Amino acid sequence: MVNIIIDGRKIKAKEGSTILKNARELKIDIPTLCHHDELTPAAACRLCAVEVKTNGKWKITASCDTVAEQGMEIKTDSDKVKENRRLAAQLLYYKYPSTAVVRDMARRLGVEVSDEKIDGHDCILCGLCVRACGEVVDVSALRFRDRGPGRDIDEPEIEFDPALCIGCGACAYVCPTGYVKMESVDNKRIIWDKVFKMQACSVCGSYFAPLDQLEYINKKTGAPLSRLSICMSCR
Amino acid sequence: MSAVSFSSWNGKIVDNRKGGAKNVAGSVDVELPVENISALAGWNGLVVIDPDADIISLITNYLKEARKLSCGECSVCRLGIDRLLDIFGKMAEGGGSGKDLSEVQQIVKGVSANSRCNFGRSALFPALDAVKYYRSDFMALIKGEKKLKTKEYSSAVTAPCAEACPAGLDIPGYIELIRNYRFEESLDLIRERCILPGVIGRACLHPCEEACVRKDMDESLSIRLLKRAAADYDLKKGGSPLAGPSREKEEKVAVIGSGPAGLAAAYNLRLTGYQVVIYESLPHAGGMAAVGIPDYRLPKNILNHEIDLIRRAGVEIKLNSKIEKLSLKELKKKGYKAIFLAVGAHAGNRIGAEGEDKGYEGLVDGVEFLRNFSLGEKVQPQKKAVIVGGGNAALDCARSCVRLGFNEVDIIYRRSRTEMPASDEEIEAAENEGVKFNFLMTPVKILAKNGRVRGVECVKMELGEPDESGRRRPVPVKGSEFTIDTTMVVPAIGQSPDLPVMTGKDKVEITDWGTIKADPVNYKTNVDGVFAGGDCVTGPATLIEALDMGNKVAGSIDCYLKGEGLSEGISFDGMNTGEQREEGFIAGKAAEKVGLIDVDKRCESFAEVESGYGIHEAVKEAQRCLRCYRLMVWEQAG
Repeated sequence: MVNIIIDGRKIKAKEGSTILKNARELKIDIPTLCHHDELTPAAACRLCAVEVKTNGKWKITASCDTVAEQGMEIKTDSDKVKENRRLAAQLLYYKYPSTAVVRDMARRLGVEVSDEKIDGHDCILCGLCVRACGEVVDVSALRFRDRGPGRDIDEPEIEFDPALCIGCGACAYVCPTGYVKMESVDNKRIIWDKVFKMQACSVCGSYFAPLDQLEYINKKTGAPLSRLSICMSCR
Repeated sequence: MSAVSFSSWNGKIVDNRKGGAKNVAGSVDVELPVENISALAGWNGLVVIDPDADIISLITNYLKEARKLSCGECSVCRLGIDRLLDIFGKMAEGGGSGKDLSEVQQIVKGVSANSRCNFGRSALFPALDAVKYYRSDFMALIKGEKKLKTKEYSSAVTAPCAEACPAGLDIPGYIELIRNYRFEESLDLIRERCILPGVIGRACLHPCEEACVRKDMDESLSIRLLKRAAADYDLKKGGSPLAGPSREKEEKVAVIGSGPAGLAAAYNLRLTGYQVVIYESLPHAGGMAAVGIPDYRLPKNILNHEIDLIRRAGVEIKLNSKIEKLSLKELKKKGYKAIFLAVGAHAGNRIGAEGEDKGYEGLVDGVEFLRNFSLGEKVQPQKKAVIVGGGNAALDCARSCVRLGFNEVDIIYRRSRTEMPASDEEIEAAENEGVKFNFLMTPVKILAKNGRVRGVECVKMELGEPDESGRRRPVPVKGSEFTIDTTMVVPAIGQSPDLPVMTGKDKVEITDWGTIKADPVNYKTNVDGVFAGGDCVTGPATLIEALDMGNKVAGSIDCYLKGEGLSEGISFDGMNTGEQREEGFIAGKAAEKVGLIDVDKRCESFAEVESGYGIHEAVKEAQRCLRCYRLMVWEQAG
């Protein structure tokens, strides 16, 4: 345990825990668009900015990937914090003016947002899908395109490798804007324009998972396909 | 540099303009990367020489380049640059207002404070300085009283780590690709300047890590291991071929020596289309990488694989082809239009002890010892070996002796541990493996009986005044002689080139140090068409330094054969790439650990000690990179 101070409140934080986690446990509201508790923090959206005292000076940092250290002092609600969050939201709104979650976030953080009723689903490059695919599913079918030198990112994009995708849908589940679409119709699932054949449960007959995914689990864990072909509710 | 009109470099304002900021006239202490610049925008500010330079055009072009370096993942940097470009674009078309200039300032401050990496934290300062100190230019543009000048702009990018790397690899670039699971592209980028990624990824002394900005915060990035991870990933997938030439050229080039310098030059010449033949005196290619670095640090299969790829790209390597007498006339008769001498430094230096020239059994020079058993010679382990020297070669000998089954392995070094040139990780590993270090002593006499070594007489030393190397000079303590009983003495105090005898009229000039004299920029020797590089020019140096010279020699030979001059390079030597105006807060995060074989197991064989990073460990380590890209965009004068 380490002793830290968040907004004047002295608390004990678990070693290795982030500022964001501790703040949220204190019910302090910190906005995020690129965070998921089960994934490595990407610190991409910069909306979770807080102030941390370092060498006697207050500095802005992302709370999602900053680990609490003994004696750390944190401000989550200062003018500087608000100003930095508002600017990040304003820039996101400027770039993705029709995306609903961005509009809501911008409004919440004090940016003037038009009243039109629009419901867009742009990719804001939060990278949640990329991380879920790489870290949790461990297939890396999704990666950022145009990386490294020579990159000329007019609109950076997510690259999809259909040969690697197992159709699990983790990317659609974590996507905050609804950009990643997944459709399941009867014995088919369509995701990133790839069509997957679904497995019918050998007990109840309902389609419950893509065949590719079950084969992947079989290969990875050695669990027999006969067992994997039974849906979770029938197991 | 004196005559500047305006500078905000590193936040220090110098303003020599009429009606400029008051009381800040003066000169700046930064050297620009090329000569005759009229104005420059860089990560650390603006430097304006020509008062008539168009700062708005400059800053707009700077931002366009900055947009390419922004990784695009953290919102504020990419979107902030986009917004600035839109604002400046609107002004160029006669729109905009003074309010936009306040927004520029607000955005720059926000991006600098809240960006994820050091690029975002530092890159936008010149835009802030421009709107602050050239406000009247912007107002004139907004009011339609001024038109932008169209100029040509040049740009350059570097980073502290890339500056420290002898071969100037784009380190943040290949790390970013690994962070994005793009190991194949990462390797392609590494190979552009380092044709032996698996070798260098294992055996490099990594000066880049010394320059890493994280070094003073928590721990440097494990840059060497990340390079190795990219190479290992490729090898696991079967090993991708190297790019070949897009069109063939007829000219033949001979390379003498197949070490890192020879291989790098040969491959890069081949890539340009030349017909390249390497002459190697030993039965194995690789130079010091093959016969100087033991398997536990650099397994032979890694080196052989990378050499094989170079061969498959069309470089011919003639093994067992020692050139005892170098006749340039002869080589030219064979059709070679250029010759690159890269024979290395494979002859051990003398320690200056009595009896070392007697040919005693049990007295074996360090480089020769390493070379012989690398080439398969059996070594009979003995009770005790005494290694003389404090460099990596001495440690390689010592750690090899441990593995060969010697009961006791002693290193004797004439200075103290702090002056040892060997790397800390090598010293630590040797200590863990049971090598005994004896400091402040030097051998004066090799003791022998019936032609066999039976001991070594040493004298104690003390440290005196610093010598030309900056290290304190060891001085013998009178009357402190003593004897160490041993049947084997291995001097390893440095190497010199073992040069072929030159025949014919054209003799290549040799320095007093016994190295080949070559131009430090184009690597030409005094003989037309003959180039030299690597250890045979510098004396024993690192693999990456030799490899870098090989890269450069290839460029120089290409220019020579085309009859062109070598274009002048860009130098950041006069700029401190380590400094930036907003350092932000960087959360501490230790480097990913790498697996090492247990010490007891290690000493039983020559198996590789370090296991390298797997995919996930490499990605995690790559996430620690602060991306300290330093961008500069400038307008050339005239």
